[in-house]
This record gives sequence, structure tokens and C-alpha cells, in this order.
Amino acid sequence: MIRTSKILLYFIATVLLAWTLPWAYGLLGGASPSAPFTLYSSVSGEFSWLEATDRGIEYQDAAGRRFTDKQFDSILPFFYYRQLISDNRFPDSIRGVAVTPKLAQAGNFMFRSSPRQVNANVPGIYPLLESMSGRVDLEASDDVFRIDRNGITFIDCETNTVKADKSAAFTEMMRKKGFVFPARVIAGNPTTRKEYDEGFFITDNEGKLFHLKQTKGRPFVRAVELPEGLEVAQIFVTEYRGRQYFAFLTDKAGQFYALTTGDYALHPVAIPPLDLTRQGVMIVGNPFDWTVKVSDTDGAEHFYAIDGETFGRLKELHYPAPEPTALEKAGKFVFPFRLSFTSGSDTEVVPRVTDISAWALILGLVLAAAFCVIRKTNPVRQAPQCLFILVCGLYAFIGLLLFSRK
Amino acid sequence: MFRARTYNSGYGPTKRYMEKAIFYKEWIKTRWYFLLSTLLLAAFTGYCLLNVSRIIEFKGAVHLWEVMLERDAVFVDLLTYLPLLAGLLMAVFQFVPEMQQSRLKLTLHLPYPHYRMVASMLLYGTLALCVTYLVSLALIGICFDALVARELFARVVLTALPWYAAGLAAYFLTAWVCLEPTWKRRILNMLVGAGVLRIFFLAPAPEAYNAFLPGLTLFTLLLSLLGMLSVYRFKTGEQD
Repeated sequence: MIRTSKILLYFIATVLLAWTLPWAYGLLGGASPSAPFTLYSSVSGEFSWLEATDRGIEYQDAAGRRFTDKQFDSILPFFYYRQLISDNRFPDSIRGVAVTPKLAQAGNFMFRSSPRQVNANVPGIYPLLESMSGRVDLEASDDVFRIDRNGITFIDCETNTVKADKSAAFTEMMRKKGFVFPARVIAGNPTTRKEYDEGFFITDNEGKLFHLKQTKGRPFVRAVELPEGLEVAQIFVTEYRGRQYFAFLTDKAGQFYALTTGDYALHPVAIPPLDLTRQGVMIVGNPFDWTVKVSDTDGAEHFYAIDGETFGRLKELHYPAPEPTALEKAGKFVFPFRLSFTSGSDTEVVPRVTDISAWALILGLVLAAAFCVIRKTNPVRQAPQCLFILVCGLYAFIGLLLFSRK
Repeated sequence: MFRARTYNSGYGPTKRYMEKAIFYKEWIKTRWYFLLSTLLLAAFTGYCLLNVSRIIEFKGAVHLWEVMLERDAVFVDLLTYLPLLAGLLMAVFQFVPEMQQSRLKLTLHLPYPHYRMVASMLLYGTLALCVTYLVSLALIGICFDALVARELFARVVLTALPWYAAGLAAYFLTAWVCLEPTWKRRILNMLVGAGVLRIFFLAPAPEAYNAFLPGLTLFTLLLSLLGMLSVYRFKTGEQD
């Protein structure tokens, strides 16, 4: 038992050091530089960006042109439309197409998806708002629904009991439209802080996509046709002011789609496959085009200009991942691995071993020899400890020096 | 150097008698603290639940569900560090008297295997803490089971469980620190203990520990072995 206790103590010390030492080491390096704020200009047809430098904020584009702040407003008329209206500089037309401030107001949208949001734990119950209440403001739902293999069940919030009639009516309608319970993906924006409600987009147990909403207390269910073989991975219901899209989707292969309103048509967006559980995406859209920013875990950022009508790619710009600093490179020789419990990519606390480095074995070997010298013992007698130091390097060395008997 | 004698007489009727005696001794030492901590933790839990009923009264049950779903509220956040404090103080009340005037020496002279003796003391503390925590968890369970759907009920309980596991870990780690015979090592143990306890409070998000909870529970139970290490050092004569 004492041997087990000692091993446990060395293990705990090693875990704590593997967790805290690389973190403290990382603090020495400071923050890594990030890509400048970049948008595609509908006017110039180039990516343009603003960057904070020692000389102040600098505005330029991919063609090498430099701008003043006022010129920068003018080449991004949809993004800075409020400033242009205020200065009475909003253009009458862009690329020969008549535009109005109202068009900018209605057609602009911003979409964000972060791995943390995609990987978040959700309770599995959702409020279904009334989408045709006849009131200007949306009202909070007095019930929530869950979908399991038996159907959709509505639970009354006041009494915490099942609304049998409503559950039966919705289950029957969904079955009638071909929905096979249970659901795979359930997506909606069940908040009253929006202008209108489009309910939920749900994939059934066979991967078919359905639109579900509540209109005057009755179920509205519509099957959405998907291309052959398409398997939906994530759905993001948009509900933008311009009502141009129902949702953005990704399939299992990572292809990004826009589901347009009216025709329920699915349009593939011309950007490379995404893994939204690891990559962040931001879209700044206007009636003409979108700027899609894809952020990789290593710090690289990719910008794609997408045509707002055809969803084809107009331009692209890439900011590579920052080069590892000398400190980071040296870290590979010092730390055999890094242990962390949290991640910026999700909300879970779970041990994660990253950055395993074989280079640290050299230091491990030196430290194992140093341990034998310090303890003045035969390496054969200390073989388990030496092996432990060889593998876990600095962490095991410090842990053993602190807690093993002299 | 002090070396306690090992008796092999801790078997049969003597073993049962000794176990009862140890449990009784621990009960005498900690009964007031146990009752007070159980009552206080229950009172704080009740206060949290009172806030829930106030929200329902003033803003309605719909608002409660909405806040739980939209803003990830669990309404028992006030309890976050209380099980930890309860566990830490339980170990202080149980083991600090043992270390005063070398009473542990006397305890280890009793005709009962030393490690089993300490294990029985730790078992008593663990069971007492489990009762304290179960009262609190039962109150949470009864309240939320009646008020919200099972998904939200599970969310609250799963969010709170790591806090109670932290309480048990704090108990084992404090026992380890208290039983340690030298101050130098005791300070080192405290630093390790603080680092271990930090692991239980790394994310405020609900259900953040779901995947780690089984492993964390096993790890917490293994921490009880550290107390034996302190007793071993005590037996081998380590002292300031």
C-alpha cells in the first residue's frame, strides 16, 4: 500500500508540473500576433484591411493601395453605411447597381461559429416559439420540447408536466411528413431577442432534413430536399433581417451550404471543407458579396470573398500561422509533453496531452543521470525512477527530487 | 526514533470491537462539527432553492426555464466552494487533535494494525461527509425534480457533483497534510493539495466535467492513500 501511495504521489506531482510548467513558460512569450481586420470590398473588388501600427491605424488593400479613413469607409460602403449616411456620402450605385441605405440595412448580416459554441453541451430540450403570434415582439414559449424515439414531447414549464394533446398533434404531423424519430441534429435560435421566428431545422433518424415551426399553435412541418448522399453535420438557423436565408449548414465532408428562403434550395458555398469542431468561421455579408474568415487552430487565417448570388469564390487571401518563436522552439527540448484540462475549442474539462516531443528525451536522459548522481545510487537500483524521468523528463525529475527519500 | 508496535490482534471479535471503538472515538471528536456542517450546508442549499422559488413567484416558471436554457444558469452556484470547505474542516477537526501532543503515537499503540486504524478513521470521515453532501444533494434533487424537466435536473446535479467530489478530495488532502510529521514536507503537501483542488474548479460551464467525472471520482478515492504515506513517515520517525 505504501508503494502504491508513493507512486500516486509521484504521479500527482508529475501531473501538476506537466500542467503548470508549460503554462508558466508560455507566459514568457507573450501573445502571438493576429491577422488584421480584413474585408472584401464590393467597390474595388480587392481585400482591404486596417492595421494598428506604430504610426497609427493604416488602411490598405491587397493591390497595395493606401487609404485615408474616409476613403476606407467609401470602399466598404455596406460595412460603414451608417457613417456614409451620416456624412451624406452613401453611393447611389455600386458596380452599376442602384443601392439604398435600406438595402444595406436589410442585406447586411454577420455569422459567427466557434468550436467552443459547436462543441458545447446542450440540455436537449428546446422552446418552440410561436412564429405567427400577430404581435410585433416575440413572446417566450410556455413549454419546451424534446425529441426521442417515441416522438416529440412538449413539457409545460409552469406545471412540469407533458402536454399530451400538443405532443400528439406535432408527433402525428411530423410522422405524416415522413419524419423518422428520433432526431439527429436539432438547430434553432429559441430566443425572443430577434425580429421573427423560423423555428427549427431538424434531421431525422434517416438523415432527412425538416423545417419545424409553430404557427398559431399548430405544427408547420416541411421536408427539405437534400442532394443524394448529403449527410448534414451542423445546422445554424440564421433569421437575419433580410430574410434571405433559412440556415447555414455543413455536411459530414465539411462542405458549407446556404439554405435560401422561399425555394428551400441548398447552395454549396465555394470555400474549402471546414471542420467546425476545430475551426472558427465568421461571415460578414452584404447584398453583393460575403467575406468569409476561417480561423485554424494554429493561428492561420483564410479569407474568401463569395458572390452573394451564385455563392462562387471571387477572391481569397491567406494569413499563414505565425512562425514559432525561439522560446517555443526551445520548449520542444525542455518539455516532453504538455498537459491541459481545458481548451479554447470546447467547454469540457478533461485531461489532454499535447505537443509530445521526442527531442525532450535528450534532457530526460541527462536528468535521469543527474538523479542517480544526486541520490548517489546505482542506476540499476533506481531503474524505475530513471525510466520515469526519461519519459516524463523535467516533470518527473522535480517530482522525484521533492518527494522521494534521500 | 519512535517506532510503534504492530499488533496482529485486530481480527475476529477484537477487530469488530476496535472498529466500533474507532468510529465512536471519531464521532465524539467530530459530532458537533458534523451536525453544524450538515445543517449549514443544508441551510445554504435551502437558501439557493429559496431563490429559485422567488424567481418562480416573481417572474414565473417560464422565466426560470428560459434562464436555465439560454444563460446556462444552475442557481446553486453559491454552493461551489462549500463542500470543499466542509471536507477541509472535517479533516482539521478529525486529525489536528491527533497531531497535538503526539496523540497519534498513542492511537498507533492500540492493538490494531496501524494502516487499518487510519483507514477506519478516513472511512468514518468519508461516510460523515457523504451524509452531509447527500442531504444537500437530496434537497437539490427534490426541488429541481419537481420544478424542471429531467434534462435540466440532470444539468444541475451534474454541474454540482464535481464540487462535492472536491469536498472529499479536500478531506483526504487535508488529512494527508495534518498527519504529516514535518513542517517542510507539510508545506510541500499543501502546495500539491492546492494544485489538485484547482482541477475541480477549472470551468464554470454547466456539465463541463461530464466526461471526466468517472476518472475524477476514482482519482478522488485514490487520494485517500496519501494519508497512509504520512503515517508511514510518522512511523519511520520523520520529524522536524
